Amino acid sequence: MNTLMEVQNISKQYKTKKVLDNISFSIYGEEIVALVGKNGSGKSTLLKIIGGIIDSDSGAVTRHVQSLKIGYVPEITPSHVLFTPEEYLFHMGKISGIPRKPLQEKIDQLLEIFNMLEARSTRITHFSKGMKQKIMIMQAMLEETHLLILDEPLSGLDPRAQNELEKTLLSLKEKGYSILLTCHETKLLENLVDRILLIEGSQVKQLESFSEASNQNNQIVFEFPSHKSLDSVLSFIQINQMRTLNNGNQELTVTVKSRDTDKALLALLQHEASIKELMPLNSKKEQFHTHF
Amino acid sequence: MMSLLHYQFSNYIRTYKYLPPFFIFILCTVVNYAFVPNPILDSYSFTSTLLFLLMGWFTVTIFHAEDEGQKVITILHAKGQNVYFVTLYLICIVIGFCLSCVSVLYPIIIGAFGERPSLWHIILGFLAHFSLSILAIALSAIFTRELVKNRQNSWWGVLSILIISLAIASLKSVILQVKGLLWLLPPVHLSLEMMSSDDSINVIPAGFYWQFIWIFIYSILVIWLYFFILNRKKKM
Repeated sequence: MNTLMEVQNISKQYKTKKVLDNISFSIYGEEIVALVGKNGSGKSTLLKIIGGIIDSDSGAVTRHVQSLKIGYVPEITPSHVLFTPEEYLFHMGKISGIPRKPLQEKIDQLLEIFNMLEARSTRITHFSKGMKQKIMIMQAMLEETHLLILDEPLSGLDPRAQNELEKTLLSLKEKGYSILLTCHETKLLENLVDRILLIEGSQVKQLESFSEASNQNNQIVFEFPSHKSLDSVLSFIQINQMRTLNNGNQELTVTVKSRDTDKALLALLQHEASIKELMPLNSKKEQFHTHF
Repeated sequence: MMSLLHYQFSNYIRTYKYLPPFFIFILCTVVNYAFVPNPILDSYSFTSTLLFLLMGWFTVTIFHAEDEGQKVITILHAKGQNVYFVTLYLICIVIGFCLSCVSVLYPIIIGAFGERPSLWHIILGFLAHFSLSILAIALSAIFTRELVKNRQNSWWGVLSILIISLAIASLKSVILQVKGLLWLLPPVHLSLEMMSSDDSINVIPAGFYWQFIWIFIYSILVIWLYFFILNRKKKM
């Protein structure tokens, strides 16, 4: 993977409070990185430093791509934008210095990607928060953006809007955009994110992402005739709970490694077991919430 | 820069926040010249003072026209906050220029003066209006949201500084007792003193030009102070 930028020894202090202390990490091309941490841990500050909105006290953000373009979507979605999406994107594009013709083509393309063609002539003030958030992402993509910075993109959205925005972000990921975002929504981290960076105590550390860390184990609940032997599957499973049912059968709750699940299920079915439930175990997810 | 100017102007027009100060300006100007004949420089003195106060209103509404969150995005597209705020100052100056022209030309067009104004009256009248407009813009911008976080404090600050600036004219004798203090205070009194000249003035004394130049220099220094504080705040 090619390195887009390197954050080197960034420190930032607000009055007496040190928010970031010698933070260093790299952002690579075509990856989605999530910054997580408790409220006030310095996530937004770090995004603003990377986006060039505020300066750090020390350290540097080194860009490894010539004329690296960064699109920034702030945490607070503007509520009073007095233009239609088309007018608004046109103004923002012109301010960025994009010539009229390619700008119009880009606006049409973005309106199509974000399913906003029908709403192109409606004033943004009349939009829902989810639609406004989409417009904010669109403005960040007007220029040929290498890196999109999204500060709490799902914050304040209802579940439906969150789902829609997740789909949009997924499609952007598939199109090869690099995205750096902060979020609290585990679902988004689970489905999209390649790397998770935790800011804690003014320091940053990399966490295992859900895709790597989760779903290592599955839980199987099954009913089993009491006269049958479980010996052939005991090597795959770990019994958590066992109880005798009224019909004389045993109900077992077991944990099995993901890679052994198919073998275990096959063996259980061959031994006349009846599978009641199969669910992924995600202990990392539980641990993860302690970071917010 | 032109695209940013176009955007800021379109946005301000759509907010309709210009309507109250604009209609007060029109109303006061029309009422002031409802009865004829009127003295030339006295009338210009009144309308320049009116414009001084109203430009404070225009300035705050122009600087606060854009949504706070949107402002961050626009600055990013403009690739720098200085150019962003320069365009806001330019919009204020254009409005100040247009209203100065209206203030000077309207009474001439409707024949509201007792005598036909000379070129010197017109130049003096325009300089009085435009210099006070620029001064009001410079002073008011210091109290806008970039430097004063609380909205209410913005309005109190603007009202206070504009009224104090006007009050200095009548407190001049007291202020003169503290050496050098008068130079630090907003020089509204210079314009008011010049405009209290008699209508029979045949030529503008050279000292008047220097006094107007000082008002412009003072305004530029205050605008520079705005950018100085703004850039310091970004680093903090």
